[in-house]
Amino acid sequence: MITITPRTSAGWQAQLAAYVLALLLGFSASALLITASGASVSEGFGALYEGAFGSWEAVLQSLVAATPLIFTGLATVIAFRAEIWSIGQEGQMFAGAMCGYWASLYLGGAPWLIAIPIIILAAMVGGGALGGLCGWLKTRFSVNEIISTVMLNYVVVYLLSYLLAGGPWTAEGSTSYHQTPVFAENFHLPLLVGSVKLHIGFPLALAAAAVCWVIIKKTPLGFEIRALGFNPTALRFKGVNVTRTVLIVMCLSGALSALAGVSEIFGVNYRLRGDVMAGLGFTGIIVGMIGGLNPIGAVIAALLFGALANGSLYMSVLSDIPPSLVPAMQGILLLFFLSASVLVRYSINIVRPVHV
Amino acid sequence: MSELLAPDILMSIITAAMGVATVILLAALGELVTERSGIWNMGVEGAMLFGCLIAYLVMAETGSPVLAAMAAMASGLAAGLLIGVMTVTLRVDHFVTGLGFNLLASGLTLFWFRSYVGGGKPPSYSTINEFPVPLLSEIPVIGPILFDQHLLTYAAFLSVPFIAFFLRRTTYGLETRAAGENPQFLEAKGLSVATRQYSALLFGSALTALGGAFLMMAFADQFRPDISGGRGWLAIVAVIAGNWRPVRTMIAVLIFAFLDSVAVHAQGVGVDIPYQFFLMLPYVASILLLVMIRSRSGQPAKLGVPYLKH
Repeated sequence: MITITPRTSAGWQAQLAAYVLALLLGFSASALLITASGASVSEGFGALYEGAFGSWEAVLQSLVAATPLIFTGLATVIAFRAEIWSIGQEGQMFAGAMCGYWASLYLGGAPWLIAIPIIILAAMVGGGALGGLCGWLKTRFSVNEIISTVMLNYVVVYLLSYLLAGGPWTAEGSTSYHQTPVFAENFHLPLLVGSVKLHIGFPLALAAAAVCWVIIKKTPLGFEIRALGFNPTALRFKGVNVTRTVLIVMCLSGALSALAGVSEIFGVNYRLRGDVMAGLGFTGIIVGMIGGLNPIGAVIAALLFGALANGSLYMSVLSDIPPSLVPAMQGILLLFFLSASVLVRYSINIVRPVHV
Repeated sequence: MSELLAPDILMSIITAAMGVATVILLAALGELVTERSGIWNMGVEGAMLFGCLIAYLVMAETGSPVLAAMAAMASGLAAGLLIGVMTVTLRVDHFVTGLGFNLLASGLTLFWFRSYVGGGKPPSYSTINEFPVPLLSEIPVIGPILFDQHLLTYAAFLSVPFIAFFLRRTTYGLETRAAGENPQFLEAKGLSVATRQYSALLFGSALTALGGAFLMMAFADQFRPDISGGRGWLAIVAVIAGNWRPVRTMIAVLIFAFLDSVAVHAQGVGVDIPYQFFLMLPYVASILLLVMIRSRSGQPAKLGVPYLKH
């Protein structure tokens, strides 16, 4: 017979095997999806690959697409590591972009070296405050953070809709555009490679990942974050102010999400509008979880998903497969990864019946 | 603002609220039973979204509301089964499973919808009609509110006492609650915790998907991405704010439905406050409700704790 028993730790070989298996199963299921929709799998995946990695330009473009996902992925890692299930990355990213834009309205002709840091700071304060609000609701009123973050996502999206259509940021003469005019050049994030808009957001995102790694692994705060996930009661007995830790985690997570908004709005689109950001926060949750709640894993997952998102545009031009294949693939991959990461925590033994 | 308080407008808001409430109430009752069995299912929004899409596809292809409702419930069963395999069998964290499932639902429904429509215009259909109860619907004020509604609306509200009775008075209902309160006890009696949790999840998700189907058939003539718009989450809040009790959950649902209905009417009447602020109302109210009602005495002791059979 076969017995399944929990084990304390899995070797890296088992974990790697589980991840590879999840990846294969995820892509196979996605292939089934393409077949079911009546398109050709090889054409679809071929175009996807071509669009993501087919040329040097495509690779750089994939990095641009990965940049906001690194930020929202890191926001997920920081919160989920502490077992704070915040799914407010979407709303915090919107809040960040909105606060960054608000600050830019007062900066007029300031040189970019002054304007950009202020915009980034304003965005981080905005996103951090929104995250902190959910942390406060959790610690002060024991409102479940999943609920508060989900609900505030909707509120923030409607707030942006008001500001851009009818509110003070409405473009001259019309409420139907849902976007601001193009920013002056001093508010554009400086470009590293101009032809594909690879902006400083990308190295900033990598730096943020390094900072998150150091915080989690090397600092007392990181210890508290990890311990909060394991046993908050023990942490409280150790004299740690758990309320404070929760608030810091939520502010940090919100500030990271806000940077995704800055990089998308001030690095790529140069105008504030909601639709270009939609979904990047939720994808960040998948990125963080598939990255194993590890900052470096999140960067790798973000690069993969950035490439998929970038490739999907090319794919939709070449084939009949809609670009929404990618969000579907991400969801499928996530569930396989979750199942695989749990399965390695069990040892499966085949026990031969013993005859006495 | 005062336009909304005009008697005929107020009447129309409340009548419409009963319809909106049906969607959230079906999901909330399903989630209530699921949570009482110990599964903290966060995948309500996703199950509702699947129900919406499947109902849309069947309505667009056949035009039959009965078939659409049945197909949606079947998709709900599939959703419940998947969540069950993850949470009950594999014992993945309940929150993580639910969040993952919602993201899957959001992506899959979008893809299926887009590949169904192709490059063309999405097909639409006519929404289903109310079913006025003879004589009773003629009563002034109460008649239109209570007795000029859809068949599913009557069914949803009538099922509140039935669910309460099931949980309090039937053997299987008590066993389902035991799975959420004291699973070891259930196991010691030789009864399977997993069976009860699976059946609660299947029931709950099917009901949620039915709510989604109703949303599609009564309020929209075609699908659009994420059409469920947080109503699955509002159902979860209603269960918490209702302290895991059927009647109180229904009251919380009615509050959200009323605000939802106010938002819809505010756009139509042309109030001077921007309509986006009205649209925020149910979401803001849900947080306020949780801040104000902080009694969690009805929360099952083992809610969200994966059970390991000994």
